[in-house]
Amino acid sequence: MSLWFLLALMTVGAIFAVLWPLSRRTAVKREGRESAVYQDQLAEIDRDIAGGLIGETEGAAARVEISRRLLAAADAEEGSTVSSSLRLRRAVAMIALIGVPVLAGALYLHLGSPALPDFPLASRTRAPAAGQSLDQLVAQVQSHLETNPTDGRGWGVLAPVLGRLGRFEDAAQAFRNAIRYDGDSAARRAGLGEALAGAANGVVTAEAKAEFERAVALDADEPKARYFLGVAAEQDGRPKEAAALWQDMLSKAPADAPWRPVLETALKRVGATAQTAPDSAASTKMPALSNDTIASVQGMSEGDRGAMIRGMVDRLAARLKQNGSDVEGWLRLARAYMVLKEPDNARAARDDARRALAANEADLRKLNEGLKALGIDG
Amino acid sequence: MIAEAGHYALVLALALALIQSTVPMIGARLRDPVLMNVARSTALAQLLFVGLSFGALVLLHVLSDFSVANVYENSHSLKPLIYKITGVWGNHEGSMLLWVSILALFGGLVAMFGNNLPLSLRANALGVQGWVSTAFYLFILLTSNPFLRLANPPLEGRDLNPVLQDPGLAVHPPMLYLGYVGFSISFSFAIAALIEGRIDAAWARWVRPWTLMAWMFLTLGIAMGSYWAYYELGWGGWWFWDPVENASLMPWLAGTALLHSAVVMEKRNALKVWTVLLAILTFSLSLLGTFLVRSGVLTSVHAFATDPTRGVFILLILCVFIGGSLSLYAWRASSLKQGGLFAPISREGALVLNNLLLTTACATVFIGTLYPLGLEVLTGERISVGAPFFNLTFAPLFLPLLLALPFGPLLAWKRGDLIGAAQRLYAAGIVALVSVAVLWAWVRGGSAFAPLAIGLALFVILGALTDIAERSMLFRMPLSISLRRARGLPRASWGTMFAHVGVGVALIGIVCETTWNTELISTLKPGDVAKVAGYELKLDNISQRQGPNFGEMLAHFTVSEDGKVIGTMTPSKRSFTTRAMSTTEAALMSRGVSQLYISLGDTAASGAIAVRIYHKPMVLLIWFGPVLMAFGGLLSLSDRRLRVGAPKPAKAARGLQPAE
Amino acid sequence: MTRKQRRLTMIGGALVVLGIAVALVLNALRDSIVFFSTPQMVAEKHIPAGKRFRLGGLVEPGSLKRGDHMMVTFKIADGSNALSVAYKGILPDLFREGQGVVAEGSLDGAGVFKADTVLAKHDETYMPKDVADALKKQGHWKDDYEKAGKKPDTGAKPMQGASR
Repeated sequence: MSLWFLLALMTVGAIFAVLWPLSRRTAVKREGRESAVYQDQLAEIDRDIAGGLIGETEGAAARVEISRRLLAAADAEEGSTVSSSLRLRRAVAMIALIGVPVLAGALYLHLGSPALPDFPLASRTRAPAAGQSLDQLVAQVQSHLETNPTDGRGWGVLAPVLGRLGRFEDAAQAFRNAIRYDGDSAARRAGLGEALAGAANGVVTAEAKAEFERAVALDADEPKARYFLGVAAEQDGRPKEAAALWQDMLSKAPADAPWRPVLETALKRVGATAQTAPDSAASTKMPALSNDTIASVQGMSEGDRGAMIRGMVDRLAARLKQNGSDVEGWLRLARAYMVLKEPDNARAARDDARRALAANEADLRKLNEGLKALGIDG
Repeated sequence: MIAEAGHYALVLALALALIQSTVPMIGARLRDPVLMNVARSTALAQLLFVGLSFGALVLLHVLSDFSVANVYENSHSLKPLIYKITGVWGNHEGSMLLWVSILALFGGLVAMFGNNLPLSLRANALGVQGWVSTAFYLFILLTSNPFLRLANPPLEGRDLNPVLQDPGLAVHPPMLYLGYVGFSISFSFAIAALIEGRIDAAWARWVRPWTLMAWMFLTLGIAMGSYWAYYELGWGGWWFWDPVENASLMPWLAGTALLHSAVVMEKRNALKVWTVLLAILTFSLSLLGTFLVRSGVLTSVHAFATDPTRGVFILLILCVFIGGSLSLYAWRASSLKQGGLFAPISREGALVLNNLLLTTACATVFIGTLYPLGLEVLTGERISVGAPFFNLTFAPLFLPLLLALPFGPLLAWKRGDLIGAAQRLYAAGIVALVSVAVLWAWVRGGSAFAPLAIGLALFVILGALTDIAERSMLFRMPLSISLRRARGLPRASWGTMFAHVGVGVALIGIVCETTWNTELISTLKPGDVAKVAGYELKLDNISQRQGPNFGEMLAHFTVSEDGKVIGTMTPSKRSFTTRAMSTTEAALMSRGVSQLYISLGDTAASGAIAVRIYHKPMVLLIWFGPVLMAFGGLLSLSDRRLRVGAPKPAKAARGLQPAE
Repeated sequence: MTRKQRRLTMIGGALVVLGIAVALVLNALRDSIVFFSTPQMVAEKHIPAGKRFRLGGLVEPGSLKRGDHMMVTFKIADGSNALSVAYKGILPDLFREGQGVVAEGSLDGAGVFKADTVLAKHDETYMPKDVADALKKQGHWKDDYEKAGKKPDTGAKPMQGASR
């Protein structure tokens, strides 16, 4: 059963709920009446008098009072008229038939992400070493490191994983150990800074900022460090500076850089319009990631990052299959496959692209030029 | 697909709520029964779709589908199943979805079991219910959507706050919400009555079961929350006058007043305008509570101002509904007909006094809760209004209320006999006074407050029993006749008795716990013995254990009294690695209704461990009282008179109908 | 009694109760309200010894010392000033150096804050409201935190505390 079929079924159910009472010609006469309540109150007084809970005289007075209410209620019920207008009924039916699907569909398409597949635990094939949880693996590595605390590379592997698990303080310590025993690198400095920021609930503290600055000193293009220096600027109330920094990164970034969407979201947050890359419309349509998520994505280990790139490539491919007129998209896809060392897929993408763009001379030329640069213009 | 289907179901529920909020009301205006009946099916369908949506979210949590942001942020694949489920409403988005689900549930119940209501009243009430639903669906979909997806699903979730991993929390928020949201029905009925411009004794009877139900759940919810705080937070407090608690207490106070004034309205057709106002206020306070807890305004006024989407949205809902309903009230209330007359000394008078004191007490809580917020917004000065404030204001108002409580049920309607009532309370009063004297002598020199308060509580309990004894003519007739009479009493009378006894019981617990609670804080090494209130607690050893997603340090205590071992207690401290935080799991041992309570502190370098040991006399009565109250509510609810007016019983009643 | 007289009796009674309530509230507001200060505000304002107030800030790293009989001392700092705090009893689970905390008590003659209640933040994304606001005012706080941070939930007591 496809999702769309299910949604349609639900819509039909909702419409039916409105149409059903309208379709009943004669209104149901099962209606509660005030008089019933007063009649019961009268009966209750009789019972109370019989049980001696209330005196005869008080009972009589109460009975008079209730009878008066009963008469008034009966009068009101007599006087009430019932009308029924077929025209109005039809109008409501039309509203239900058209309004419900239109409103629900429009709102859902605006908010929902029908293209995203489920990702339940059971089907999670990407989970490391099936059957073993990440926590257990981490614990194993940790116990190894406790006995060999000078294994700098081990710390270097563990640190980003800890960061991803949200154990920022441990991650910071692991990064420090990695730097101490296995040498300094821009990526580690950036990771340390990120862990420190994570530990401070996403606030880039002075300490974290110092690490990012060190990372940039080691490698002026370290993307994570630069991104967070932007965050620091934003948090210090200098959004313009942050935006400029991010813009600069974005303009230099390779088109398939996994952190592009992160930067675009960040830029959107500070109010600057990103120089829209062709696919930014698609990427901004994704639900906004929380800062935490972004932080954890940034802290991904190499393997995870590969998985993430994989996911983005797959989505790009899916999108192009639906709408193939995007030359840049095809080129990016082919390039991505080459980066992933999958030349066969790249060639398949090339062929698909040529087919999709066959109608448009200019685009086809552009495509072929791009493919030449990639070395797959066969 | 599950997530998307759940999301769409929620959107459909919104569409249905929009229809439910317009068509039936137009129908009621034009007296078109077909259009009015749309209310019923849409309310039921709305319940179905919200139920689907909520079920989908539960399923997503159970399956640990981390492509849903809400699941990723609040769950973890290693979490025990039960906490995966409770995690659904342990967070903002999920709990709001629970909120609307319960709202739809009550709407559905009215649609299903509201056959005893006049068609137009039901249509209008469900229409108003539709407005409330619409507002909250929009709030959820636009600002707190639990079905937002992550394009790149992370491998592991971020866990539930360990403090919230507790079975008490599995039931506490749903209970509280059943109470909060249940009052929406009274509100809808009140607005419907104002729209129709007609309100009378029958209305009160129709609203009563819904109010009772909400009140019962709220009572239980508050009690459960209090018990949760008591054993989970690890320092033995059970009420903190914390804004979150006050937010639930205020609708409870107003709802209690509403229950009582509705009785007057039902029996005597009086206090109509006031009852409608109370119904509006009670739900408004529920909305206010939702606003306080959900907008983040309590966390920080500043946070509210900088990230205003959610807060402002709820504030908007609050203003529209409270402002709108009060304006409608001001406009239409004068057109409601005046009700019956009564003397100040009468059952009505007593209930008016009850209402006056309850609403005033509610107002003081309101001031104590909102004054700091208001002051901060206006002057930037930060203050905290803590327990002393409430003890100084709330307690003096409750005192006369409790003192007057036993008199109420003994006074006759219209014109009561205060002296007669007092005479019937002689026995209760004397027993209470004697116990005050005995207690005072027993505690020797202690403050006079506790014995007096306990005496008052006894007076309340005995007074409630006196009422039943009087009605069944106990000791004045042969026992068999009395028993028969007692059985013949309406269940509502028994309900009243249980609820009032519950008040007294809770008061005894509160007074005993606060006055005679013993506390010992010390550091113990294995083998050490601590002596508290006649009990000896020996720390045998300290052990470690690995839980599903936490490590645990357990301390084993052997408890003995007069040299005889009576049991063991094992308080523990859990550390949760994913959150890098720890919780204290207190150990409790009940001795009758008193409890021993141990919670652990830090471990010193020497291997000694800091412990806090309390002896809390009568503490269980604090929660037993509310349970009795809720039971009383249940009894009243089962009273057959509340079901009257439904077509079927009405036919049966016709036989008894007097000639007109 | 006529209807009017009865109504007057009612309104009179209501006014009496309300009057009492207002008096109670005003009295309680005068006596039982606790003001909140940061160490900096304490340094500027000269709060007299013995006056109860709440002190909020971050626990200064390295300042926590445990003495005999469960005495603990630590410093609460707000970036510009720090104040020594003495407390006897068990600190709450969530008490940690470098984290937000609120202590209630009063200053003694020597200028040490004698706390009888210590409240620690509820979880890592929650700060006591007073502390957050105060730090924010001084610019040690970033708005970004709040967007990332989740609010504590229903039923959850926003603070976890220890009191003697």
